[in-house]
Amino acid sequence: MDWTAVCLAADLPEKLVIAAECAGAGIAVWRSATGQLAAWADRCPHRGMRLSHGFVRGETLNCIYHGWTYGTDGGCKRIPAHPGLVPPASIKVVRFDIVQAQGLVWVAPLGASAALPDLAGLIPVRSLVIEGAAQQLAEALPEFTPHQGQVWRGGYGGLVVQPLGDTRCRVHLLVRDLADKVSASRWAEALRQTVEMELNA
Amino acid sequence: MIAQAVLDAWYPVAMASQVTTAGQDTQLLGMPVRVFRQTDHSIAVQGATGPLQVRIRFDHVWASPGTPAQDLFTIPEADAPGRRHVPCGVVRVKCSPLRAVENFLDIAHFPFVHTDVLGAEPHTEVNRYEVAIRDDVDEVWATKVTFYQPQAAKSAAGGITTEYMYRVPAPTAAVLYKTCPARPGEWDVITIFVQPLGPELCDVWPWMALYDDTTPMAELIAFQQMIFLQDRSILENQIPRLLPLDPGMEVPTQADLTSIAYRRWLKRHGLTYGAQVVAA
Repeated sequence: MDWTAVCLAADLPEKLVIAAECAGAGIAVWRSATGQLAAWADRCPHRGMRLSHGFVRGETLNCIYHGWTYGTDGGCKRIPAHPGLVPPASIKVVRFDIVQAQGLVWVAPLGASAALPDLAGLIPVRSLVIEGAAQQLAEALPEFTPHQGQVWRGGYGGLVVQPLGDTRCRVHLLVRDLADKVSASRWAEALRQTVEMELNA
Repeated sequence: MIAQAVLDAWYPVAMASQVTTAGQDTQLLGMPVRVFRQTDHSIAVQGATGPLQVRIRFDHVWASPGTPAQDLFTIPEADAPGRRHVPCGVVRVKCSPLRAVENFLDIAHFPFVHTDVLGAEPHTEVNRYEVAIRDDVDEVWATKVTFYQPQAAKSAAGGITTEYMYRVPAPTAAVLYKTCPARPGEWDVITIFVQPLGPELCDVWPWMALYDDTTPMAELIAFQQMIFLQDRSILENQIPRLLPLDPGMEVPTQADLTSIAYRRWLKRHGLTYGAQVVAA
């Protein structure tokens, strides 16, 4: 199973949790106060509430529904309704592998063995969601190569393309030279409009 | 195929004061129904295959698509003189009607979802309370429920430990009896009546019967709407949308005894509309 680039490392500061997708599953990705990363199935084991709606305190992620508190290892540390209770070890979230590399945060199902794609010479500058399939994006970028895999090189540097279902993509924009980041960002905006307008035409 | 027990229950379909002769189209259990006022001013509910049984109670129109063995439940306390009856309008929620009821029965979420209104950290503990499925009336009851609340009601000035009783008299209706700040010894009555539009979509009609002669009606309604909109942000983000009736999918604790009894009662009666019966 390939790694999925869920966001720029810079877009996930300490004490933040975000919703993302990996291998078709909704996940909650968060960074603790000291910088530890974790990615879990986006579902509290108690009542199924999305953990991405929760809040980070110190080294824990807390569910917004009843405040159930999980450590970075995914185990439940505290149930506020029963402050005197030590939660049984069986209460734990479904974990994913997570790593920060090359300016991006990458997630994969637990035990993933694939190597991270090589982004040598490229710097991520922003992410955007495009309402179009990867195939439609590829057709708008004939000069980019290759269109297989996640990393498409070309233009100001390239793109990391992560399909979200069959009709949307999350795209991370990469540049070779940081001086190009504003021009590249405008180019990516125009690319999105081109793809989405063609779909609406 | 909808179970007969589901068809034979009573469900809210409209606020009585809003029904006109022109009528309004809505849904019940995925079936289109029309609610309208007849020439004699009585209210009727028409389904695709004929008229439904109708009751007008608690300011709402209730209908049953089947042949209910029992009449619609009553709330004798709500009829006491001096009570103000407050229909609070409707909130549409993309969730199972059963999840909407279960959330209403839950107190442990108050400090996190209704922060500084119905609860606040560090007052998060849920003390032991009593739960029973009362065989004589075939209803779920939770009693001796207590919880610390910063502002328990519109008429409450500061924080108090509030006592509650919860009652489930119908599969998609729940009644809360709550310490009345203005009149110690009496209970405020707060209910939700849930209209199952589909298995994962419902209209929630909150209704109250209060001892409160001073707060303007608009403020009472706004307070209840604020509370329920906070609940909606939870209800539309639970996975799965259906209420799991089999163990294994979710992890209950002692604070969830009311929910456990509610799920058991639903299962016992085959009231599985909006439920997930086979563990996924």
